[in-house]
Amino acid sequence: MPQFLSNKRLILLLIGVILLVALISLTLRDRGQVSLPEQIVKEAVGAGQSVFSRPAHFVTGVFDNIDSLINTFEENRLLKARLEEFAGVQAEVTDLRSENEELKELVGKEEDLREFNPIQAVVIARNPDQWEEKIILNRGTNHGVKENMAVMTAGGLIGKVTIVTPTTSTVELVTTQNPNYRVSAMVLGEDDVFGLIEGYDAERRELLLKRIDFSVELKEGDQVVSSGLGGIFPKGIVIGEITEVTIDEFGLTKLAYVKPAADFSMLNHVVIADRLMPEVDGEDNGMTEEEEEES
Amino acid sequence: MIRFLVPIVCLVLFFVEPIFGLFSPLSIDGSLYYVVPRFLILFLIFLTLFYELRHALFYGLFFGLLYDVFYIDIIGLYSFLYPAVCLIAAYFFKKIPQNLLSATLLALGLLLAMEVALYLFFQLIGLTDAPAGTFLASRLWPTLIANALYLGLLGWVFRSMMVTQDPQRGTKFGLY
Repeated sequence: MPQFLSNKRLILLLIGVILLVALISLTLRDRGQVSLPEQIVKEAVGAGQSVFSRPAHFVTGVFDNIDSLINTFEENRLLKARLEEFAGVQAEVTDLRSENEELKELVGKEEDLREFNPIQAVVIARNPDQWEEKIILNRGTNHGVKENMAVMTAGGLIGKVTIVTPTTSTVELVTTQNPNYRVSAMVLGEDDVFGLIEGYDAERRELLLKRIDFSVELKEGDQVVSSGLGGIFPKGIVIGEITEVTIDEFGLTKLAYVKPAADFSMLNHVVIADRLMPEVDGEDNGMTEEEEEES
Repeated sequence: MIRFLVPIVCLVLFFVEPIFGLFSPLSIDGSLYYVVPRFLILFLIFLTLFYELRHALFYGLFFGLLYDVFYIDIIGLYSFLYPAVCLIAAYFFKKIPQNLLSATLLALGLLLAMEVALYLFFQLIGLTDAPAGTFLASRLWPTLIANALYLGLLGWVFRSMMVTQDPQRGTKFGLY
């Protein structure tokens, strides 16, 4: 290269930039859909990625095991203390469960929003540039995964499926900045309170539970779970607990900060929840027409 | 030999990146640090500096495209940035002393520029609303430090890998 930019190069560069802007704006518009070539690339990269992620998970698993071995003594003492409590709770749960079933039979209600078919999946990659909180799982449409399904760990809800290909699926975590990301949720208490998980406070690292009725009293420490009313998520997936209750920016409804129950840092095995009740098309946003008019 | 070695190394680095991404964000003393592994582009910069620009451009375009399709779902972002960074690297390397230390510093400087460019882009399309201070403290410095470590460990391996491929080139570069 005698010169950094000769005339020919300059024209090439310009054409390149124009092409680039066109491509970016085209793909930005419909990010939810994947075209066939994109799908093929995703499949191929996903296959390669799972080859690499398996030994990585093995190694981190070994370290986790060592880590938990170190804490075993302390944990054991704590767990023993909880065990006595547990027996009582267990008895109560079986009692309540059978009672619940009897009552359901009495009413003739067979299906429940709570029931779902768990699809086990392994995280094969996390979006390495981390501008968007996305993970990629090794299960896809071949295994029954559909768009917008809830994804959770043992701790609680972590996100929902945004893109599926036959053998991989992309999950957008609830900690995303995406303003269109909503999960219909409810606060457990004597009366269930309904709201929407909308947005994430990156500095506090807490989710925002919005659109709660102004007259409702909420306490710190109340548990927030998915309500299942959005049409896709099953009911009762733990989301987190309330840490602070304030008034939203318009002063019309309440806003609560919810500390997520799941740990987002080292995700490995997750469960995709395939709800047994028929699903409604669309996102799990739980917006009714009335609400839309209000906002 | 390098015909097969370079694509294999690229492929391995491409697949290893998201695995290191699984460790991030690191939480130290209650604050979160995002460490973004940029193994592939650093390798490509070294490829530009110590081997050949055209190869680096080609691999940059190819793997940038894979990256875009698989992770970002915005086609044209990394597939532009990777070759662009290699071009700029080639341009600047002619003006500075050509050794391993200067190459490492140049690569890190370009990485910094790339991170800032990405931050501006994602802010433009509204995927992030992090203020510049947060971006500096929780993303840029941790990322740079981690990638400097990586280059410090593997930079000389890359360099010797490329330099030994071409005996004429070996005499051109001193170690320091």
